[in-house]
Order: sequence, then C-alpha cells, then structure tokens
Amino acid sequence: MYLEGLGNTLLIALIAAAIGITLGVIMAMVNYINKKTGKLKIPTKICNFYITVVRGTPVVLQLMILYFVVFAFWDNGIMIGAITFGLNSGAYVAEIARAGFESIDDGQMEAGRSLGLSTWQTMRTIIIPQAVRNSLPPLFNEFIMLVKETSIVGYVGIYDLGKIPGLIQSRTFDYLFPLLIAAVFYLVVVLILTKILHIIEKKFGKSDRNQGGVTNGK
Amino acid sequence: MENNVLIQVRDLSKSFGELEVLRSVSVDIKQGEKVVIVGASGSGKSTLLRCLNCLEDPTGGEVIFEGVDIADPKVDINIHRQKMGMVFQQFNLFNNKTVLENITVAPIIIRSKQLRRDKWRAFFKKGEKPTLNKEQIVAEEKEKAMKLLERIGLEEKADVYPSTLSGGQKQRIAIVRALAMNPKVMLFDEPTSALDPEMVGEVLDLMKQLANEGMTMVIVTHEMGFAREVADRVLFMDGGVIAEQGSPEEVFGSPKSERLKSFLAKVL
Repeated sequence: MYLEGLGNTLLIALIAAAIGITLGVIMAMVNYINKKTGKLKIPTKICNFYITVVRGTPVVLQLMILYFVVFAFWDNGIMIGAITFGLNSGAYVAEIARAGFESIDDGQMEAGRSLGLSTWQTMRTIIIPQAVRNSLPPLFNEFIMLVKETSIVGYVGIYDLGKIPGLIQSRTFDYLFPLLIAAVFYLVVVLILTKILHIIEKKFGKSDRNQGGVTNGK
Repeated sequence: MENNVLIQVRDLSKSFGELEVLRSVSVDIKQGEKVVIVGASGSGKSTLLRCLNCLEDPTGGEVIFEGVDIADPKVDINIHRQKMGMVFQQFNLFNNKTVLENITVAPIIIRSKQLRRDKWRAFFKKGEKPTLNKEQIVAEEKEKAMKLLERIGLEEKADVYPSTLSGGQKQRIAIVRALAMNPKVMLFDEPTSALDPEMVGEVLDLMKQLANEGMTMVIVTHEMGFAREVADRVLFMDGGVIAEQGSPEEVFGSPKSERLKSFLAKVL
C-alpha cells in the first residue's frame, strides 16, 4: 500500500518537475531576452502576470480549480495532480532561473555576439548552460519541496503517500504508527534524492575553480 | 585612396536616454591602419569603439564596413561581426568552456550552420556539394586553435577552464579567440586596464606582433607609451567628439587644445 502511494507521489513529482522546469526556464529566458534586447515585450508581460497569479494563490485552490472545473471531464487524477504542480512549480522555477540568468555577466553575451554568433546561438551554448549550473542548488530544493508538497493531492482523493496513513487509520484505529511510517518513507526518499542531486551538481560544477579545474595538471 | 578605407564612420551619434555620449562623430579607418583612441573617462571613446561593431546601437549616423552600412537595423549584423574581432577590458572568456573550446566554439557553430545550408542547396541542385563534413570542420578548427595557442605559448592550457588562468593569459587567449575568426579588423576596448602591472607587457607584446603583421587595429587605451610606439594615428576624444587627431608626434608632442594639454599632463 505504501509502495503504491510512494509510486504515485514520485510519478506526480517527476512529471510536475519536467513541466515546471520547461515552463520556468522558458519564462526566465523570455524575461532575460526582454531585459537585454528590449524585444518580446508582450510575452514578458504575460509571463509576469502568470507568475504573480500562481505565486499569489494557494496551491490547494489551484488543484481544486483544475480538478473540479478545468479537467472535470477527465478522471486521471494523477495526471491532473502532476499538471497542477507542474504549472505551479513553473512559476517558482521561473524566479529561480531568472536569478540564474541574472548572475551571468553581460560580457558573456557581448563576447558571443562580438564573434558573430546570434543571440540565440550565444544563449544556447554560453548563457543557458551557465545559468542552469548556477540555479541547480535552488532548483533541487524546489524539486524536494515538490515531492513533499504533492501530499496535497489527497484533497481530491488521489492515493499518494500522504493519503495512505488515513486509509490505514480508518481500518485499524491506530493513529501514530501509520503516520510515522509515511514520514519515514518521505524522509528516506528525500535523503536519496539529495544524494543523487549532489552528484549531479558536482558533475556540472567542473568548470569551477574550486572543483579542481579538472585537467589542470597536478 | 577611397578603396583602402575599411571602416567609414559618418555623423555617428549615440545617446543613453538624455545623455548624449557621441555627437556626430566622423572618422575613416584605413586598411592596415592602427588607430589609438585616448581621452578622459566619460569622453565617449569606449562607446565609439563599441558602436563600430554595433554592440551599442548607434542612435544616428552610419558605420560603413566593406561598403555596407552596418548601423542599419535591417542588415544582418552577425555576418559582419564575424570579420570584426573584439577584445574586452574584462576578457569575457566563456566560463563554461575550456580554453580550446573558447577559441573553436564560434567558428564551429558558424561553419556548421553554413554547412547545413550548403547541404540543402546541394540537395535542391542549387549549389556545389560541400567538400568538408562536420567532423573535418571540427578537426580543422581545433588544429587552427592549437596553432594559435602555440603562438602565445599556452598550448598546455588547452583543456583547462578560464577560471584557473591569470589575467594576462586570459587576455591573450581572448585575443587569439578573436583571431580564430580571421577578422579584417581588431577592436580593443582597454585591453590592459584590468590587468596586474606585471602582465600588461605580455598582452602589449602580442598586440605589437599583430600590428607588425599588418592587422587593422582600433585601440582604446591608457597606455601612452604603447600608443606612441604603435599608432599611425591618435584620436583624442572629449565631450563626445574627436577633439584632436594626428600622428602620435603631433598629438603627444605638440598638443593644440587646452583640454588635450591638461589631459596629457595628467596621464604622462
């Protein structure tokens, strides 16, 4: 039972993270290009509006609106949950990625452009890789938050890890133990994720001086 | 005479909001000429240099490079920028690329794109089949980059990241990165101002080598000794206009205006 719930939790979190990162990075890029070149004015306004609305309202309400209204015709609760959290996390990722883009010195773009590369070619090869690397720690944090936050899907009757203790309680009238087991499950998952994410971070950090500069001799 | 003018600047002006930085500047830069721009900070000298390859969009006037007005927003500036190398005060090496990749990234991207275009043209029988494939282009650019690195004695640094290099090494790599595009002109924006004093020499030496090879160079600098030695012509900028210009002997030896005299008194 716990394992099934765990599976659903991870599935929702993974799909949500994929949607969130895609959406967030696109919005941050639109914002960055707008800031540097003055183009894309209207898309930037739309993105900012979206971010404000999503960040300014509780995710429980967003979930209910999507589940009971927008996707009322659809009975795949897990997908609806994943989409909700993806759209929600997109707004937060956008802010994280925006900070990542802003941490890149203007000179990087100028150097690319001065060599004859286009804005997009420079973005792709120079700016985005660096921005992503700089935003990895807060992005991972967001992902771990996401894993735990998805327990909210219990509100609309989806069986994820956070919902299981309630089910067991209703049969055994034992309150403490099922909750503790669920908590341990979350903790273990988060610990494993933290470890994996650390490894990824190290791999990306190879052009950092304090990571050894790789092939710099001895 | 007219033919060997490489860059023709006509009535160039640039303002940032209310602030007028360049006021109707006109100057010709000839093929092979070494032009040094000096002036106090805020005089517009860096802005003039950055307008030459449109890193700053001019608010008025023309920059005619090889017969094309590149200040015109309709012109594809990227093609023309490939022939204008630029070196920055802060080096601006790509932090996420190794030294070798820094040099090869732009030529490889640009040549690969051209290759894809040529392949399509050949497919529709509109042009010749390209002779090189992608791997050959990459190999060729790598070889060229290694030669450039050997030239500046940094071939053993090919696979390290820029964060491990000294300022002088970074700037010399930035210079050969620009050279890898085979530019017609090199623009230097205070190339030694961010360097520790003991590293200025190695960068200036490389620039002198370039000058001797006949490269057209436009240099904004505070190194008056270097200007005297290398420049064919010195421009003194003040208040957004070229206040005085001439050979180094004229400008440094017998300055006419009071502004130039007081500027030289401060820097020499």
